[in-house]
Amino acid sequence: MDVSAQLEAQKSKFKSINVEKQVPLQFDLGLLASFDTNALEENKLKTETDNYLKTYTRDGTQLLINEIFQLPLTSVQDVGVVVELPKIVTAIPREKPLPKPNPPTRWERFAKIKGIKKNKKSKLIYDEEKGEWVPRWGYKGANDDGSNEWLVPVPDNADPFEDQFTKLREAKKVRISKNEARRRRNMDEAETGETQKLENKSKAGAKALKKTELHQQISVAKTSTASLGKFDKPIKGEPSNTKGVKRKFEPNIGDIQKEKEARLNILNKIIDKKGEVLNVRKAIAKNHQEN
Amino acid sequence: MLKTIKPKNARTKRILKKREPKVEENVKTAIFVRGSTTSQVVNDALSDLCRLRRTNSINFTKKNNIHPFDDDTSLNFYCSKNDASLFVIGSHSKKRPHNLVFGRMFDGQLLDMIEVGIEKAITMSEIKSQKCSVGMKPLFIFNGDLFETSQVHKTFKNMMLDFFRGQNLESINISGLEYVISITATGSNVDSDSTASSTSDGKIFFRVYTIQMTKSGQKAPRIELEEMGPSYDFKLRRTKFAKEEVYKIATKVPKTLKPKKVKNIDVNEIGDKVGHIHVGRQDLGKLQTRKMKGLKRMTEDDQTEDWSRKKRKS
Repeated sequence: MDVSAQLEAQKSKFKSINVEKQVPLQFDLGLLASFDTNALEENKLKTETDNYLKTYTRDGTQLLINEIFQLPLTSVQDVGVVVELPKIVTAIPREKPLPKPNPPTRWERFAKIKGIKKNKKSKLIYDEEKGEWVPRWGYKGANDDGSNEWLVPVPDNADPFEDQFTKLREAKKVRISKNEARRRRNMDEAETGETQKLENKSKAGAKALKKTELHQQISVAKTSTASLGKFDKPIKGEPSNTKGVKRKFEPNIGDIQKEKEARLNILNKIIDKKGEVLNVRKAIAKNHQEN
Repeated sequence: MLKTIKPKNARTKRILKKREPKVEENVKTAIFVRGSTTSQVVNDALSDLCRLRRTNSINFTKKNNIHPFDDDTSLNFYCSKNDASLFVIGSHSKKRPHNLVFGRMFDGQLLDMIEVGIEKAITMSEIKSQKCSVGMKPLFIFNGDLFETSQVHKTFKNMMLDFFRGQNLESINISGLEYVISITATGSNVDSDSTASSTSDGKIFFRVYTIQMTKSGQKAPRIELEEMGPSYDFKLRRTKFAKEEVYKIATKVPKTLKPKKVKNIDVNEIGDKVGHIHVGRQDLGKLQTRKMKGLKRMTEDDQTEDWSRKKRKS
């Protein structure tokens, strides 16, 4: 039986969904976008802009919808046909930078060293009394920490007149305060951890700072005697403090040649100024100043 | 400029936590601001664009003395106060009539901006047709090869995608594909032509249509469009590109969101899944095999000697 004729008739009832394009379109289905790089007809664009744009866009949208319908489709109850979108290809900038991971807490550091792994506990727990699954903690929960006990057996070695219920309540309060203290300590450590890191980085710098500080303190201590440390016996191997010395005097008996050279240098400096011995400008200024 | 708030109750704590940087981000908020002087065209354009982007957009109606290309600080303040990372500033002056500046922020600082002039505008209310429902994700069509070649157009494309994309969804209902935004670029490449201030070149047509799907006898439906939303003819004016290093940091994908590489498993040409197992090198000399005395290696002399010995014995 030749069904092709009937198929053709059926097909001709509906409008075609095929579109011919010279350059195939690029798609980014995560964003439901299509990028068409085909050349546009400039004259049509100028004369009948809106109509041309409408037909051109219709073609592009048809191709995009065809592409979307090729993705995996599932039909969800009460909602309809749902199509699964792939991940986005185009790089779109974020609005805020990536978050930095928190520094590890005391327990996390300990667990890492010891190799203790976290055991994920289930949210629901089977309550024997009620005979059903209740949340482990929180509203309508199991409360297995003993806060809502209706009967507490008195242990053998305990005082018979002691109130066991208050004992449980006090123990819970202690646990809460300890937990809070630990939480606050973790927060403080997380904050100061960064400053500690900076200190560690410049350990060498810190050491050097300490050394100069020490030297300063020593020199201050040395001069804080009645006669400003002048008549103290110098300690062997200690560098003498030449801080307060302002002028250096040459010894009277020294090298004659050196003395001669020094004196001639002074003379050259005076005469060498291109024949001028007197700086007229300076002399006038000084005269003015004096008068 | 903004003082850091320390939360005093749970509600403020929740709001601050929402505004914190996260691996998977919230939908970007956009603010629509008016400059010191605006025209009716600009006002309508701002309100229409705000309606297109219904959720997470704030339309301010008061005029502000704000010049984005000159001064960053007031802009940064507005955006960080409203926790917005997208903005549109509308203004009107003799030099730049019917001006719109689209821009983005990253980390509280300006990332990039594009200034466009509106040459022809038709508002949503002027076009009498059925409008789409609120908050739907639009389809995008970018026509023209300028969007691949010109740096300005590439930035504009990126910005339009960022502005109107809505929520990041893994799957979408077919009936939710209601409207399409079509952006067409004509004119010569602005980058190559340095004297590109010609009025006939460099136009961008912004059109919005609703999609009607009809049966086609095949899997995909036949599409018909009807013009719905605002229609603008833009002309590109100034641009401010993002600095490369900042853009790199902004487009960084965290390791957790990158697709995981599966090692040692491939699919061969026939379509079978093939896996590789890497066994270490074996020292074949030290292999422990079954000992068969008969297969022991012997030389020819040994063989004849043995035979003769056996004969003598017997």
